Amino acid sequence: MNKLFFLILLLLICISLELIIGPGEFGPEILKLRIYRIVLGIYAGSVLAFCGNILQGLLGNPLVEPYTLGSASGAALGASIGIILFNYANPLFAFAGALFTGFVVFAIARIEGGLLRDRLILAGVVMSFLCSSLVMLIMIAGRKELYEIIYLLMGYLGIVITPQNRLMIIILFIVSSVLVFYLYRYYREFDIIATGTESAVALGIDMQKFAIEVFVVVTLLVSFVVSLVGAIGFVGLVIPHISRMLFGPRHIKNLGGSLFLGASFVLFADALARTFTVYELPAGVITSLFGVPFFIYLYRRQ
Amino acid sequence: MIQRLLIFLLLIVILNCKESPKTAGLRIVSLSPAMTEVIFAIGAGEYLAGVTTYCDFPDSAKKIYKVGDFSNPSIERIVALKPDFVIINLPEQRKIKNELEKLGIKVFITEPRRLEDIYKEIKELGRIVKKEREADSLMNFMKEIIKPKSKKKKRVYIELSPRPLITIGRDSYLNELIEMAGGENIFADLNKDYPAVKQEEVIMRNPEIIIVFHPEDVVNRLGWGTIRAIKEKRVYRGLNPDYFLRPGPRLVLGFRELEQIFE
Repeated sequence: MNKLFFLILLLLICISLELIIGPGEFGPEILKLRIYRIVLGIYAGSVLAFCGNILQGLLGNPLVEPYTLGSASGAALGASIGIILFNYANPLFAFAGALFTGFVVFAIARIEGGLLRDRLILAGVVMSFLCSSLVMLIMIAGRKELYEIIYLLMGYLGIVITPQNRLMIIILFIVSSVLVFYLYRYYREFDIIATGTESAVALGIDMQKFAIEVFVVVTLLVSFVVSLVGAIGFVGLVIPHISRMLFGPRHIKNLGGSLFLGASFVLFADALARTFTVYELPAGVITSLFGVPFFIYLYRRQ
Repeated sequence: MIQRLLIFLLLIVILNCKESPKTAGLRIVSLSPAMTEVIFAIGAGEYLAGVTTYCDFPDSAKKIYKVGDFSNPSIERIVALKPDFVIINLPEQRKIKNELEKLGIKVFITEPRRLEDIYKEIKELGRIVKKEREADSLMNFMKEIIKPKSKKKKRVYIELSPRPLITIGRDSYLNELIEMAGGENIFADLNKDYPAVKQEEVIMRNPEIIIVFHPEDVVNRLGWGTIRAIKEKRVYRGLNPDYFLRPGPRLVLGFRELEQIFE
């Protein structure tokens, strides 16, 4: 109970930081803009940390992050195709790229009746490399600059809100909430799988089918985030570890912890990114810069 | 409008004037689209042995052998042309510069941060290709048109890209061009050439005029409604980016476009 209180307090502090910090006068227009920024931060941070947590458990590998399955570089590939065709990085293209890469990874890792976990990681890494080189190739062949892709790959919350993408943000937020809830229901299965696949099979979990289901939902969630705010790094890798350190191995607690901590962390990083300079700094730069020392501190203390 | 047409005609004349070569056999590779335009403008186009795929003006530049694109020219192709010197853009092409120098190939560096640098480079290039007179007249022609206007300056925000918002800072010659044309760049205090800026910063600095160099919507952005330029419907788009982003002869056309906007 204490810890839940702590989580909510932390999130509230980060929200108010994000709301207050910034240049200039505080008018209703600025307020609207910052509320959207907060929504995006909470959305990206919680979804990424949540997905990272689930994938690390499911694939039994502490180095896995949401982008291991190739969606970040896939989104970059889609976006660069969009830049070539329409002269700007359309989020729809980024989404299509992320989804397509997910599909290819799925096809590679697929065996009869299910998915092979190790193959999934390897396929994701291989596809990431392929997509990265394709991005370079397309940008060079299409004579375009790479900075848009760089910001997409680092991730930043300062996106411009137009009537069109405002609707998209709201829809994605609702759909993603439903999908997160959908996965959350499986917390018992995740607990069992974390103790070993053999015991999971023995206890009657159809591992192959289950892996496919989780993979599809996670790919969707990560693709939404990446196409909207870019591939904000570090959150999906390390927040799950921190959450497990603080809340123990049971998924009902550490998945919830990941949601809150991820959201707070991205908001905190963005608030810092906005105070440092007048320039737009990708939030992804700050997440790693401040997250790594914090992680090392927690890790050494244990 | 008539003035603009006149300038354009003059430019075409300048760009096409041909003279008998006094430095026969000179071979130049230009990795800078702007300098390619300058070379044609001073009547040295025939010395160009290689250019980039970006070098598309004047039309004759399109027919010249391509050594690659702006950021990734092929060193092998450049070397194979046995050029007397290669025109390099800094800072973008620093790696290529180092490699060429290792191979003992001479480079001519173009790194214009101020209008004065552009004039200096034109003069220097004219000296090297023995077209001093033509270079001087091009320079004087540009200086004649790009002159500061003494009137009340309009506060302007220029957006080169929407994701992230990329604008013009103090370290770009465009900052100077804007000021001479009668504008005041709202981000003139940032000592970078093309900085990425925050939306809130744009809203707070409240420009009177917005000039956009990409196709996306600016008017209906959330939170931007309080900006004067948007309230007064003074958002301009459809300008030819090559008139601005290439520090060459056609900058005068860009300057005229800016002047009309700031009228």
